[in-house]
Amino acid sequence: MATDYIYIALFLLAAILFVVTTLLIPVTLRFLKIIPHNPTPVKGSPFECGVETIGKTWVQFNLRYYLYALVFLIIDVLVVFLYPWAVNIRHLGLTGLIEMLILLTIVTVGYIYAWKKGALEWK
Amino acid sequence: MNLQLFIPELTLAIFAIAVILLDLFVQRKGVLAGVSVAGLVISAGFTLTMWGSEPQTIFNNMLAVDSFALFFKLLFTGIAILVILASVDYASKLTNLQGEYYALVLLSVLGMMLMAAATELISIYVALGLTSLSLCALVGFLKDSKSSEAALKYFLLSAMVSAVLLFGMALVFGVTGETQLSKIAQVIQAMPLTNITDNPALVLGVVLLIVGFGFKIAAVPFHMWVPDVYEGAPTPITAYLSVGSKAAGFAVILRIFSSAFGLPEWLSLNWGMLFAVLAAISMTLGNVVALPQTNIKRMLGYSSIAQAGYLMVGLATVGILPTADVLGQSAILFFLASYTVTNLGAFIAIIAISNKTNSDLIQDFSGMIRRAPGLALALTLCLVSLIGMPPAAGFMAKFYIFSAGVHSGLLWLVIIAVLNSVISAYYYLRVVKVMWFGEPTSTEKVFSSGALRFSLFITSIGVLLLGILPGLVMKLTEAASKMLAFLP
Amino acid sequence: MSVGLEHYLILSAALFSIGFYGALAKKNAIIILMCIELMINAVNIAMAAFSRYSVPVLLTGQVFIIFIIVVAAAEVAVGLAIIMNIYRSRETTETDKIDLMKW
Repeated sequence: MATDYIYIALFLLAAILFVVTTLLIPVTLRFLKIIPHNPTPVKGSPFECGVETIGKTWVQFNLRYYLYALVFLIIDVLVVFLYPWAVNIRHLGLTGLIEMLILLTIVTVGYIYAWKKGALEWK
Repeated sequence: MNLQLFIPELTLAIFAIAVILLDLFVQRKGVLAGVSVAGLVISAGFTLTMWGSEPQTIFNNMLAVDSFALFFKLLFTGIAILVILASVDYASKLTNLQGEYYALVLLSVLGMMLMAAATELISIYVALGLTSLSLCALVGFLKDSKSSEAALKYFLLSAMVSAVLLFGMALVFGVTGETQLSKIAQVIQAMPLTNITDNPALVLGVVLLIVGFGFKIAAVPFHMWVPDVYEGAPTPITAYLSVGSKAAGFAVILRIFSSAFGLPEWLSLNWGMLFAVLAAISMTLGNVVALPQTNIKRMLGYSSIAQAGYLMVGLATVGILPTADVLGQSAILFFLASYTVTNLGAFIAIIAISNKTNSDLIQDFSGMIRRAPGLALALTLCLVSLIGMPPAAGFMAKFYIFSAGVHSGLLWLVIIAVLNSVISAYYYLRVVKVMWFGEPTSTEKVFSSGALRFSLFITSIGVLLLGILPGLVMKLTEAASKMLAFLP
Repeated sequence: MSVGLEHYLILSAALFSIGFYGALAKKNAIIILMCIELMINAVNIAMAAFSRYSVPVLLTGQVFIIFIIVVAAAEVAVGLAIIMNIYRSRETTETDKIDLMKW
């Protein structure tokens, strides 16, 4: 029982040590004058994939993303049912296959609906 | 497995999908209402052919196909047909969203049918989710500020309550290790318990289940959503909510509480008493707050809280006299049938009138008897039935349920209920007085479409038929209630 | 001392209560929705724990959780659509400003 906690304590110690060391490395290097200290506005600005940033970081996202997210969420979550079925496919047999096809038909109809209604177009 | 027993539900699902697809590819939107009504009629037809056969279960005991479920399936398809006919005038306002409207109505009927048939916690939860989500979307269908406010209120509260309900289900599952109602009953009866304090987790689970379904049936103190949602929702959907969602809630409560928690006595006596107290509070609060209302939809909202109170007298009876006979169950089913035709009739008349006047205020119904004699007469009949006066259906329903209450020794509750009926007469009759003796605000006649008049005619006939010849339906309700004792 | 059923149940009850408190006390509709999700996930924890400890052979609890997750996702989709709808007409998601209908 107590030995279990020793493992946890060791892990905890290792985690703390790792964090402290990684924090200390740049400070030490700077202190030893191995890395130069020469800040400019260009250096201090955020850098993302070689593109210059425009505006603030806190922006409202376009409503369009939300529609994609909804369509994705619904279809994604339904996949949860596919895994248990796939594992047991032999055991469930033809009935299971038909039931799964019914589920997929309904999802497909939903997809066609979203498509026809223009939810997938970027207007 | 026997898939043909699932045909009524499958038909509805297929028609719901067909309506969505048709809406995408067909320009004339008028056909959609026809297709949905056809789907409901076919589904009801399949349900009728199963009536009277041996009770069976499908999907590994997840759904029962017995007279109890079939009774409710017929009730729900009937409700939906009338609601769709009544909303033909209304849906033309929705222009490009008609397909979704009808499809959502079909899907919510499907959810309610599954609720009535479910004999397992998982299927109950999924059916409940299907019903309440489609209803949420329907409540907010008008997209104006009142309607979307109603939808937000309904959605937030129903999501919260469904989480509470789930916690109750988790506790019941944890204590008994089963999700099937009949097996839960076996495990509970085998437990060596004699008192309510012996197993707090189980009791907490049962109470949380009551909270969850109490919200569905609009019982006080879980009623706060009712007036706002009824006022804001499109009127056909208000009618639908007030009868459909309530009936589905009672179906599930009856199924769970008479099969899973029906015995032993230490449990059933206590939940019976809890329902009795909730019944007394619901009727009193509903009726008293309905008195000063000026909006008729809001007034009927409070009135539906009061009616839920009368219905819960039946539930209390079921808990206190669990094995004696099926008087309580049968009385609830009869009351639900009569409440359905009555309330639908009232709402259909209101739809017709407010389509013309563009207002739901009671004062605008003034002198309606001269502007629209048929509508006013039908509305009067329905309001009289809601009070519970003969010869309307409401009288027989109340008589039946109150006599069940007296039979199980709940005389105090029945006295409160009768006093409440007297209070309720005041606000129902006020509308009647305004319609018959008020001065008309204009001389213009109120016209309504054929579909709407047809559905109003059907409901009025139903109100009179159930009031004058109640024996026919009572036979059905008794046959349906006997099935509750059957455990899959 | 080993971790048993009661630890999971305490965690679940605590999360459920935090979610419930948030759903009642917060004013922003989206935060209320998040709190409701917290409640539902608390139930999932309880379900999984019960499934593991009271019926270790069967998978009823886990199957129940899958269904809960799916229904909860549908709930979020409908709920966000309703909140967006109300934001378009009112320019707010604060629930105490959404008060056209009272009493």
